[in-house]
Amino acid sequence: MSTQATMTPVFPTFEQVFQGFAGQIGMLRQMAPKPTLTDDVRVERAIDTLIAETNADEAVWLESCIHCGQCTTACHYFQATGESKYAPMRKMELYRRVYQREIGPFRWWYKLITRPIKLQDLEELQELVYDSCSECGRCTMVCPMGIDTASLVHHQRSALVAAELVPPELAALHAEQKHMGTIFGASAAALMKMVDTIRDHYGVEIPVDKPAAEVMVLSSAVDLVANGNGLLATAKVMNHLGVDWTICSDGFESANFGLLSGDMSLWKRQVDPIVAAAKRIGAKTLVIAECGHAYPALRWNPMVKGEDLPFDMVYMSEYMGRMAKEGRLKLSPIEGKITYHDPCKTGRRGGAFDEPRAVLKAMDADYVELPSGREYNWCCGGGAGIFLLERATRLRDESFKIKLNQVNATGASTVVVSCASCRLNFEAGRVKNHWDKEVASLVELVADHLIDQPIAAGEGVRA
Amino acid sequence: MSLLEFARGPAIHWSLIILVAGVIWRLLGVLVLTRGADLSRPRDAFGNFKGYRTVFSRSWPSGEFTTATRYQTIMAYFFHIATLIVVVGITPHIEFIQSLTGASWPALPNALGVAIGTIALVSLIALIMRRLSKPKVYCSNIGDYITWLLVATPLVTGLMAFAHIGPRYETMLAIHILSVAVLFVWFPFSKLMHSFWFIFSRAQSGLSYAHKGVRI
Amino acid sequence: MVEQSTLGDLLRSQGVSRRAFIKFCSATASLMALPEGLVPAIAEALEQAKRPSVIWLSFQECTGCTEALTRSHAPSLESLIFDFISLDYHHTLQAASGRAAEAARERAMEENQGSYLVLVDGSIPRVKAYSTIAGISNLDMLIETARGAAGLIAVGTCAAYGGLPAAAPNPTDAVAVSDLVHDKPIVNVPGCPPLPIAITGVIAHYLTLGVLPELDALGRPLAFFGETIHDRCYRRPFYDRGLFAETFDDEGARKGWCLYKLGCKGPVAYNACANVKWNQGVSFPVQSGHGCIGCSEPSFWDNGGIYESIARGQFGTGPKIATAALVGAAAGAGAALLARNKKEKKAAAHSATE
Repeated sequence: MSTQATMTPVFPTFEQVFQGFAGQIGMLRQMAPKPTLTDDVRVERAIDTLIAETNADEAVWLESCIHCGQCTTACHYFQATGESKYAPMRKMELYRRVYQREIGPFRWWYKLITRPIKLQDLEELQELVYDSCSECGRCTMVCPMGIDTASLVHHQRSALVAAELVPPELAALHAEQKHMGTIFGASAAALMKMVDTIRDHYGVEIPVDKPAAEVMVLSSAVDLVANGNGLLATAKVMNHLGVDWTICSDGFESANFGLLSGDMSLWKRQVDPIVAAAKRIGAKTLVIAECGHAYPALRWNPMVKGEDLPFDMVYMSEYMGRMAKEGRLKLSPIEGKITYHDPCKTGRRGGAFDEPRAVLKAMDADYVELPSGREYNWCCGGGAGIFLLERATRLRDESFKIKLNQVNATGASTVVVSCASCRLNFEAGRVKNHWDKEVASLVELVADHLIDQPIAAGEGVRA
Repeated sequence: MSLLEFARGPAIHWSLIILVAGVIWRLLGVLVLTRGADLSRPRDAFGNFKGYRTVFSRSWPSGEFTTATRYQTIMAYFFHIATLIVVVGITPHIEFIQSLTGASWPALPNALGVAIGTIALVSLIALIMRRLSKPKVYCSNIGDYITWLLVATPLVTGLMAFAHIGPRYETMLAIHILSVAVLFVWFPFSKLMHSFWFIFSRAQSGLSYAHKGVRI
Repeated sequence: MVEQSTLGDLLRSQGVSRRAFIKFCSATASLMALPEGLVPAIAEALEQAKRPSVIWLSFQECTGCTEALTRSHAPSLESLIFDFISLDYHHTLQAASGRAAEAARERAMEENQGSYLVLVDGSIPRVKAYSTIAGISNLDMLIETARGAAGLIAVGTCAAYGGLPAAAPNPTDAVAVSDLVHDKPIVNVPGCPPLPIAITGVIAHYLTLGVLPELDALGRPLAFFGETIHDRCYRRPFYDRGLFAETFDDEGARKGWCLYKLGCKGPVAYNACANVKWNQGVSFPVQSGHGCIGCSEPSFWDNGGIYESIARGQFGTGPKIATAALVGAAAGAGAALLARNKKEKKAAAHSATE
């Protein structure tokens, strides 16, 4: 942070970002759309959505559960509260009932012996699939049947989208992105304004809308409306690498409230302009901003045929890691003991484990792995949109204590994260628990430790 | 028709028919459903194939969960292995299997059969004790208890028939066979089907994670 | 069958020593699970016993039961006791025939009204024409003779449970004595044939104690039918160790291993063969190398093949299981295909509402 200390504090610290953000989230609840359909139609749409999204994979998983209870040992929400309803296996019960009644092999029998789904069942489901499941997939790691509960939860989120039962905060952002194409008002104009601010105050150039570029970089609403440091750091790193890069004003948003709410069509719709822009400029690489869920939304989007894409999609940490491995990222050594928290979406459910560690290695970090590291990493408790839900505050706070103990056990003074959502949740936990650890973003940490910076960056402002 | 005649004849006969038809019905009813396609590019071109190892690797909990799952893992292993040995290892069962399939193999001494059967029963009791003692963890439903009971009954009646406890041998034998018949009938409609599902379920997750370069 | 002498007189006239007689009494006592202290009492009671009147009715039978009792290679005490009873009517053994024979039966019934014993061997065809004696159907003769009897002893499996004549398809509609006579005590002494001592044991019990012995659920005297062949079999240790003869001429068969896999019904056959054996204790089927066929059990003819072990299911599985598999496959695949169709429709409707 030494470089910023000498500059006008144009951008707030992340603690201030977090506080401002919390205020904005509060307003979302009033903005949430109200249900427009009749109860029967909402239930029917939820059921139809589950039917439409159920393939043999889901059916096998729903059939396989033997109620052995081992998933409870893996779930941070269950471990934090000890409440039976948060057992991962219970988060698929309603789905199973729909499956058994509608498409299961013995559906004619189950229609006779099970209750039909009512709106109240769906209302009760909301807490299970939104508030108390971050789709982190840790339960899959222990399940003797290997059931992918997270994906089953995601289908139920889809069903609740159809039933107009998305929690208000997510519903508001979902509606905003769906109808206006922005999140927290982060429009193309906001992007341009932020780019100008960064150029004017820090002298860091951000190439926007170049007709052709090797690398296309995405940003995210959090960076555009609150944490300008994120975009600034990204620009510094890209400029340092000296690659031919750009940000496209018609496809810059990493965040995808289609994925978070469970709206498959919005998910797809948000991805299309990004892919189109990358194709247009002839990008070879698409770099996704530090926004955890954007990784599965783009890189692992099952609806976008990877073979047809003329470019690679990589996460920010992944990109920096590759550059570090190639020796293109020149970094100064970092002090203190450091640990790294794998965001669920890029780690266990994304597979980008080695790259962020390679970046830290390039900084000569005194690196220590979390006690449950990599594939077994505990979720911070705020993923999959849960950070936005006021109702889930207790669940978040309680489950964060697991994370807190994990980090404490390493003896590290800094925990590095590479996901805006994780970082917000860590920040909330740090403040509430008066935690003495520093929470750092990987890209901002790298930007602070760049050596031999190109002339374009920084020098102008200092002069 | 005596009870034993009924058990050895129509009861076990129809239960086998229901077992076979039911199992295939349920398996195909699921497996013939559409397969979802993940069109995204795999992390490693041949990496997905590695996902199949989850089918085997998940037979033992990873180090991360060893402590939390130790009791269940050990008891479940005792139960599954002991039950399997008893089912295929003692003379009357081999005779029954031979009458069905024509295949035969040497049997275990009875004392060993009884000892292993007892282990199976004890481990099964150990598992239900735990299920009963931690309702919040297990979220048991009626099916869990029925399944437990129907699995325990053949073990109990088999041991009783062997040890000549309770009714006369032929009656006990008939009850034993009937309990197996009930188990066979229950099997296709219950969680006992996990004896088939586990392969598919593990393979699917293994593949979907391997697609992203994650080994689970 | 002359004057009313006692059993003691008879045995002495036949040269049976006191020692041999007491030995018989203690053997009988122990077989019938009577306390040892009762042996002198039994001996005395038997010595003093008067000849009871016995009517032996033979219906659908093979005479094997009579043969087993009377054709032992040397005269035995069992056969002597049998000689002692006043056998007033028995096709095979009596000298009289035709009208005279029937007259003997009628006279015995009349003279010993309410106190004679009826021994029956053979099953009774309910289709009367299938078996008649002197123009009287078996069924009518049994009912008529049983009316004045003190009790009945069904000798052999045919009389006790229907036996071979009642086996499927049972063309004569043969039934057991107990299916027709309900108001008299009946003792079943099944076996094909029954052990001679089981027959005489019941008679001796009746002679000494004046009542019929304690019976099991199938009407058999517990003293002789209380335990399975398997439990008393000298080959049992091989069963417990898992050593079996697989064929009748293999190593196991030569070494005398267990015959369970060759269809021995010992585990479900209740009889005393393994204790008292046959032909003056020479041997019994298992000892001679053949599994027990369970001849003392109801419907033993129909309970699977003689060489099929008891654990085998009694049904022709192959084609039926294959049919079941096909039905399951059709239903399962059909259910899944219908579900696919439904899924497609829902997916189409879903995307239309977007």
